[in-house]
Amino acid sequence: MKVCYSINGKKKEFEIEAGEVLLDVLRRNGYFEVKGNCYMGTCGACTVLIDGLPYTSCTMLAAKVDGSEITTIKGIGTLQNPHPLQKAFVEKGAVQCGFCTPGTILVAYALLKNNPDPSDDDIKKMLDGNLCRCTGYVQQIEAVKLAAKMLKKGDE
Amino acid sequence: MLKLKNVKSCFTPNSIQEAIDILKKSDGKAALVGGGLDITVFPNPIIEQFIFLDKLGLTYIREDDENIKIGATSTITDIAKAPAMQNYLKGNVKIALTELASELLRNQITIGGSIARHHFYSDIIPALYALRAKIMVSDGELIEGFFVDDFYRNDLKALMETCIVVGVHLNKYDDSFQFGSKRFVRNATDIALLNVAMLAQIEEGVIKDVSISVGSRPGPAYRFEQGETFLRGEKLTKVLTEDFELFTKSNVDVAKDMRLSKEYRQHIASIYAKEILLDFMGGVR
Amino acid sequence: MKDFKHIGTNTDKIDALSLATGQSMFVDDISFSNMLQLKFLYSPYAHAIIEDIDTTLAEKYPGVEMALTYKNTSRVIHTTAGQGWPEPSPYDTYMFNRKMRYIGDRVAAVAAETEEIAREALKLIKVQYKVLPAVLDMENAMKDGAPIIHDEPEIKGAYDPQRNLAAHILVKVGDVEKGFAESDVVVEDTFEVPYAQHCPIEPHVTITYLDEYGRIVIRTSTQVPFHVRRIVAQVLDIPVQKIRVIKPRIGGGFGVKQEIILEDVCAYITMKTGKPTRALYTREEEFISSRTRHQMKVNVKIGAKKDGTFNAVRMHALSNTGAYGTHALTVASNVGSKTLPLYNKAPNVEYIADVVYTNLPIAGAYRGYGATQGYACLEQVVDEVAHKLKLTPLEIRKKNHIKSGETSPIFKALGEGREGVTQYIQSCALDELIEKGAKEIGWFEKYGKKTRNGSKVRGIGMSIHMQGSGIPLVDMGAATLKMNEDASFNLMYGGTDIGTGLDTIAAQIVAETLGIKPEQVIVYAADTDLTPFDVGAYASSGTFISGGAVLRAAMKIREQILNVAEEMFGEHDERDFVLEDGKVTSKKTGKSVTLSEIAYQTLYIKKQHQIAATGSMVSPYSPPPFAAHFVEIEVDEETGIITPIKYVTAVDCGTPLNPELVRGQIIGALVNGLSYALSEEYKFADSGRMVGSNFMEYRISSTRDIPEIVPIIVKTYEPAGPYGAKSVAEININGPIPAIGNALYDALGVRVHKVPYTPERVLEAIRSKK
Repeated sequence: MKVCYSINGKKKEFEIEAGEVLLDVLRRNGYFEVKGNCYMGTCGACTVLIDGLPYTSCTMLAAKVDGSEITTIKGIGTLQNPHPLQKAFVEKGAVQCGFCTPGTILVAYALLKNNPDPSDDDIKKMLDGNLCRCTGYVQQIEAVKLAAKMLKKGDE
Repeated sequence: MLKLKNVKSCFTPNSIQEAIDILKKSDGKAALVGGGLDITVFPNPIIEQFIFLDKLGLTYIREDDENIKIGATSTITDIAKAPAMQNYLKGNVKIALTELASELLRNQITIGGSIARHHFYSDIIPALYALRAKIMVSDGELIEGFFVDDFYRNDLKALMETCIVVGVHLNKYDDSFQFGSKRFVRNATDIALLNVAMLAQIEEGVIKDVSISVGSRPGPAYRFEQGETFLRGEKLTKVLTEDFELFTKSNVDVAKDMRLSKEYRQHIASIYAKEILLDFMGGVR
Repeated sequence: MKDFKHIGTNTDKIDALSLATGQSMFVDDISFSNMLQLKFLYSPYAHAIIEDIDTTLAEKYPGVEMALTYKNTSRVIHTTAGQGWPEPSPYDTYMFNRKMRYIGDRVAAVAAETEEIAREALKLIKVQYKVLPAVLDMENAMKDGAPIIHDEPEIKGAYDPQRNLAAHILVKVGDVEKGFAESDVVVEDTFEVPYAQHCPIEPHVTITYLDEYGRIVIRTSTQVPFHVRRIVAQVLDIPVQKIRVIKPRIGGGFGVKQEIILEDVCAYITMKTGKPTRALYTREEEFISSRTRHQMKVNVKIGAKKDGTFNAVRMHALSNTGAYGTHALTVASNVGSKTLPLYNKAPNVEYIADVVYTNLPIAGAYRGYGATQGYACLEQVVDEVAHKLKLTPLEIRKKNHIKSGETSPIFKALGEGREGVTQYIQSCALDELIEKGAKEIGWFEKYGKKTRNGSKVRGIGMSIHMQGSGIPLVDMGAATLKMNEDASFNLMYGGTDIGTGLDTIAAQIVAETLGIKPEQVIVYAADTDLTPFDVGAYASSGTFISGGAVLRAAMKIREQILNVAEEMFGEHDERDFVLEDGKVTSKKTGKSVTLSEIAYQTLYIKKQHQIAATGSMVSPYSPPPFAAHFVEIEVDEETGIITPIKYVTAVDCGTPLNPELVRGQIIGALVNGLSYALSEEYKFADSGRMVGSNFMEYRISSTRDIPEIVPIIVKTYEPAGPYGAKSVAEININGPIPAIGNALYDALGVRVHKVPYTPERVLEAIRSKK
């Protein structure tokens, strides 16, 4: 069956199986920046924003989100023009192997849109579905706080 | 990884009647999809059709003088953010709901989905039991409200072939009522292995009325009626909390599995029961 | 120590922005149109012989290219351990074995056009098994009459397979029995640590394809590209020359990718069919059919004098290596070699290890590599000795730990499959680590106070650790540098950055040595065709060995640059030259030339030659990093639930070449250690099948599980290491189990002898005390 998504601002049509999950549709169509593997919603590496909210794309039926706006990590910043969150993650040493990073940054992005001045606890609660085995989380939390500061100063 | 190989078609009905019509014609091979979490994580190979509930207007949390009405496709995140829930029973219900699993899953788990599948996600159903929530079920024409235990006394499979859970009604309670719940987890984002939820009406230090539910994954949550009988009419004192701890330990019904022993579940259920009562007393230890 | 420009700075990780913007390519981020998908069929029995297997129907299934079993694949016996040659692990496996030795062992595989087709085809494979009795408990492996797991006559290098012993170690120094007899107190205790998994967020994944010359290219998520090349060549019986291994970005390794798991099978299919082949482990396969930590029971007995000096130390480890012996001997060696030298004051030391085969998942390399299991016991028994002598945990350690200038006979006695190498400690800040850590945690205010809040009691515990930096005289790495017109340099080195930031360290080392900026170093790594050799990312060898090689290459380049400058200046003493800020300046005459000018000169103008150099590093030194861990916990007496409140780790890694990256290694290892101490555990059904092979059941830390964490870096200068650096990758995973165990004792006077310290076990310990 056919579905239509607007991915990072670009509307596109996709051919999908009715029972597929969004993660598979995305990667099959070249969106390799969406990672993941657990297929149970438990690691968070496959996180994308759907209409602005973060979800695990491995548990989201592709057919269900027909017509949605999907944001992957490439939709919030580029190498040439990174988002403050991406800059902050680099600066704070919050990126080690980087496999969990796109998902984690997207969740932080959604958090900061609603809560521009989050406490450590707010951040921990919001990022609790993005498992990371490399960093131990401390630098990620520091990065989100730094990004919040950067965004407040209007450092776009 | 394509887990749901046999699904051939998807429907997004515009009304409940339409949804039920499709459901009835499907010969048990259609799945109602709220958030879709359950269906993708635990795929059922007989499913050939999806019925998406997104257009039925069931994502709402409203309040009036008597009730808080929650639509079935409201997610945990929706409920946690709702103004009506912030001060409901001092915010304790909201806190109970937002501890479970992870933010990403809370965005996807719907209350209707959790109820309709009689989930072993212990966290939600014990709270609903204790709150004496009414589960609103529609057959396309009429909506009937069931208390949680009555709802589960039905042949759930048969019921869900011709009806849809459309919402949950939570009673509003006056200040004499308190709510408390505690959960046992292996670490923070775990799905609770054991939880206890309690709603009590305490007037002049006496437990006028109480409802208690215990959930012990993998078993379904249930209403701990023996405990309710034990407490009803008693004066809430430290001694009572200790007596209730002992009573709970010997009388609570808990499943066991490789995750946690029966003995420990009984033990922790009794501790939680005591602690909730102590919280009701104002945290006096 | 002079001031460094780039060493010791928080240079941004050179690949961090690329990763954070989703640009970086991991193994699975490429695709070929005719790529085959590989799926495995696993044994449903813990111990069984395949009497017959018929893949005819599977092969006929539309879309199936090939089916593999023991009947049509390599019969070269080997080890899957990614270790240097000759590998110190038994050769006890084939690509496909005829005997199944655990639930998760490979029966067969199918390569097909899609994953779904491959899965369907697997169901059509007919297998006849002869089920055998299984060994499902490591305590039973060596008992008389136990089923023999490795009865194949071709097995090589296992210690005594008839008794299911993959390895056995006995090292004696002095006479421990005499030592115990002479001691004023003797304390003994045993602790058991479970099966655990690394849980890299990216599981094992390999893609193979033929290049235009018919060579097999293996693009794989690995820590050991050169070992992959050699072992695949061995298994497929083709020359090394026919294979190229590429390591792109890796999503975490922690030891589980120090192994050849998917590469040989994929390579074989590509070789036979000419088509690209992809294999990706599901999370379940990652838990069951990749590698795990060695489950172990460790017993330590310490005899000490009244004043606290250790007189005799005996350590005995029973290690479960699972169905195959990869890393069996070497992990067990490290249980003793990375722990016992820490307390070098004891003149009598004995270490015994029995490493047994069982019909359970295969254990392999995992961060800590035996030291984790050794310290789980040792650091708790040390505390127990202190208590018996009425000394504090701080005092007993200060009295006994190794210091700068000292050595231990264990260094030589315990190698990794060969004799070890004597080490003299040249940098050690343990006293300062203990002092600073104790202050930060509030040791003197909190220890022994057992502060209570209802049923919740607080406790403080500590532990100290050492590890190593590479395997002395074994691990080698090499690096090649070449200069470009704009004074940028290509660094091609074998060092294997698996997310740790090694590539960044390498760039910093080049920048510091050549007076340029790290951004001017173009790093290309771990490609067996284009980079020189490196053993790979393990044994905490990255900075010390791979970085050491980079330094050597850079020093040679420096030499070449100064020679050209000499010519260009007409001066003859390069000792007058300063290489800084992208130019060479003569202190004597003030003449100066930019590096770019030197590059143009040498590439185009006069006496043209490519400024380039290769450096190799192998070292007789393996200077240990040191750490002191302190934890404050709150334990609920009624429920047994332990909550870590604050965790302090003070670390001496020599010069921290990049402090932010060092912090990342410290915190990452420690958080992993925390969930290992509190919630990670394999559970098995009676059949031997692992139950709960997913993240819902196997609980690793999330953001909501971490306490307040304070890493403290204390600088020392290690003369053997590049710019004074040692290593930091593994050591901190060793702390949480003993530190929390000791904190529990401080709070409630009980110990839990079986890790993880689940509430049930803690509660039982509390009840037993009463």
